[in-house]
Amino acid sequence: MKILILFTVIVTGMILIYGTQDMPDWGDPNSPASTHVSPRYIKKTMDETATPNAVTSVLADYRGYDTLGETTVIFTAGVSCILILRVRKKRKKNS
Amino acid sequence: MISQSPVLIIIIPLMFAFITLIFGWWKKNLCYPIVLIALFLSFLASLNTLNTVIASGTIHYRLGGWSPPWGIEYVVDYLNAFVLVIISFVALTVGVYSKRSVEQELPEKIVFFYVMFLLQVTGLLGIVITGDAFNLYVFLEIASLAGYALITIGEDGAPFASFNYVIFGTIGACFYLLGVGYLYIVTGSLNMADLSNILPGLYGSKVVLVAFAFFLVGISIKMALFPLHVWLPDAYTYAPSSVSALLAPLMTKVGAYILIRIMYTVFKPYFAIEMLPIASILTWMAVAAILYGAAMALAQVDLKRMLVYILVSEVGYITLGVGLGNRVALTGAILHILNDAFMMLSLFLIVGAIMYKYGTRNISQLRHIHKKMPFTMAVFVLSGLSVIGIPPTCGFFSKWYLILGAIKANGWVFVAVLLISSLLNAILFFRVIENTYLEPKGELEHDSESFSEVVTIDEVPSSMLVPILVTGAGILILGVMSGKIISAIIQYAVPAYF
Amino acid sequence: MFDFILNKYNYWIYIVLMMIGFYAMIGKKNLVKKIIGMNIFQTAIILFFVSTASKKSATLPIIEHSHGHEEHAIQVASYLNPLPHVLMLTAIVVMVSTLGVALAILIKVYRRYNTLEEDEILQFKK
Repeated sequence: MKILILFTVIVTGMILIYGTQDMPDWGDPNSPASTHVSPRYIKKTMDETATPNAVTSVLADYRGYDTLGETTVIFTAGVSCILILRVRKKRKKNS
Repeated sequence: MISQSPVLIIIIPLMFAFITLIFGWWKKNLCYPIVLIALFLSFLASLNTLNTVIASGTIHYRLGGWSPPWGIEYVVDYLNAFVLVIISFVALTVGVYSKRSVEQELPEKIVFFYVMFLLQVTGLLGIVITGDAFNLYVFLEIASLAGYALITIGEDGAPFASFNYVIFGTIGACFYLLGVGYLYIVTGSLNMADLSNILPGLYGSKVVLVAFAFFLVGISIKMALFPLHVWLPDAYTYAPSSVSALLAPLMTKVGAYILIRIMYTVFKPYFAIEMLPIASILTWMAVAAILYGAAMALAQVDLKRMLVYILVSEVGYITLGVGLGNRVALTGAILHILNDAFMMLSLFLIVGAIMYKYGTRNISQLRHIHKKMPFTMAVFVLSGLSVIGIPPTCGFFSKWYLILGAIKANGWVFVAVLLISSLLNAILFFRVIENTYLEPKGELEHDSESFSEVVTIDEVPSSMLVPILVTGAGILILGVMSGKIISAIIQYAVPAYF
Repeated sequence: MFDFILNKYNYWIYIVLMMIGFYAMIGKKNLVKKIIGMNIFQTAIILFFVSTASKKSATLPIIEHSHGHEEHAIQVASYLNPLPHVLMLTAIVVMVSTLGVALAILIKVYRRYNTLEEDEILQFKK
């Protein structure tokens, strides 16, 4: 059984490494990820959002809805923990 | 307000989850009405969205006013709106049903249960409506976390089953995230419409191929496609009745929706069908799922566990329709999303009702309950006929389209598998019906009650009975109206390539 | 060849880390080790994403000199890509939440079975 699991893990790793062959090099400033969507975030962050920190402006303004989802995840996890762990002690009736 | 209805579908359950927590702490009895109001408003908003889509085409709703791909966008087309209405209707029905069941099974956790219920519905609705790949991951995690918690509070054996679900579900979601990441590295965009424009130039790239593989494996884990379904039987059997009734019809169908989106909208259909033989691999997995689900269901003595294995089989039907790759089969698959949601909903509601009244789910102990619960068992027979595929119930029409699609694709093996599985389902349901309706031979204890007092009808309370009856009526009505549904909605939901 | 490795070794390191976590998640029998494996797997994915945001000799994406209305030309290639950082902030939060819920479930399993080994729990259930 362990051999099967080891085999699965190695195959998954090999597939992932096979996929990195066509990826852009590390630190390439002309990669598609750096030239398609994100230049506008860096260039226009002061004009459109008045925030010098580009990460903040993307997190809270351009993609603010993801942040709403993220806070919902935290809320869900908190209520989950209460739901799972809380045990109400039964009050014994004096009779 | 009306034009904001795409986002209202999500925001109303979310905000009401907070409101339920606050008001529930103050007074426990307020939870149930607040939850019903939230689910009803969400249902109205989803109906309004479907109407708008039918009247004026695809809705593009920009969150925050930023145009895609720099901001997040909701794209609501026919497929989206259709699945949204299904989810909100099923949630409303289970919400009405859940009051008595939760009071009996989880008496001290009512407030937090209802908060989690609304959050789960929010997550499921958010997955379906979004047009952004990373936003889908966030809402997938909301739905998954709520699911883990809701299953854990069930009966004995539920925490361990839920732990297995945590491990498997996290693997699935992380594989999905890896797929999104690989696509982002090589395209730079996260928006589904933008990806579908950029990707055709990159189909020869190894990165895109590996990303597609990881998408499929991750979604198959979430959808419980054989052989990655192993978390499903234990998790849904030991969950509370209302939770199984909510999750079983919905979670797997939402997974099937994600599969259709990734395979046919983000990646163009010819990628999965002609360039790579992935669609045919999917059909063979689907065949294995159909036969395995039916065979395992035959071996069960627990009624709920039998239904969960039927659910594994139903996921196989939908995947078969998706993988066959022609218009008729995909129509059958999308119609089966609707029909299977209703069938599974009614079956799980009935099992919950039986559990509420008798505390047992063992088939051999359910003798003659048709005398005490005639309406419930009548709907059970109706749902059984629908699973087998007998007209005019809705199950017949989706199976008919699947068989036609298999014939059109020259897959005679698939036609045979579909017919064999109908036969196996018939054996399954007649076994249960025989136990409950027909008198077993040689039982002496029934002589005393056959001529004496009339057995009184001791049905479940009406807040549980009305949803069951509505769902039963829905199975018949949907069957009769199948043609109209296909011509009005599903015909446009199938991508134009087919 | 050496050039090829030098350009891509960031991806490979994180993939190896991912596979270590993945093996622990499915191969180990102790439930706590599975959760640790889950954590390693998700952390490795986060690091993998963040490493794609880097650019040679680039600095943090905080625009410094633009208090006031001077229009200095902002050279995009000298600032890092902010988008993967943002996505991974959300992924970190999701990871921590899943860890919390998994540990809560683990406490419940322990209260019931008094052991955390998968073999013993399956024996118990039979």
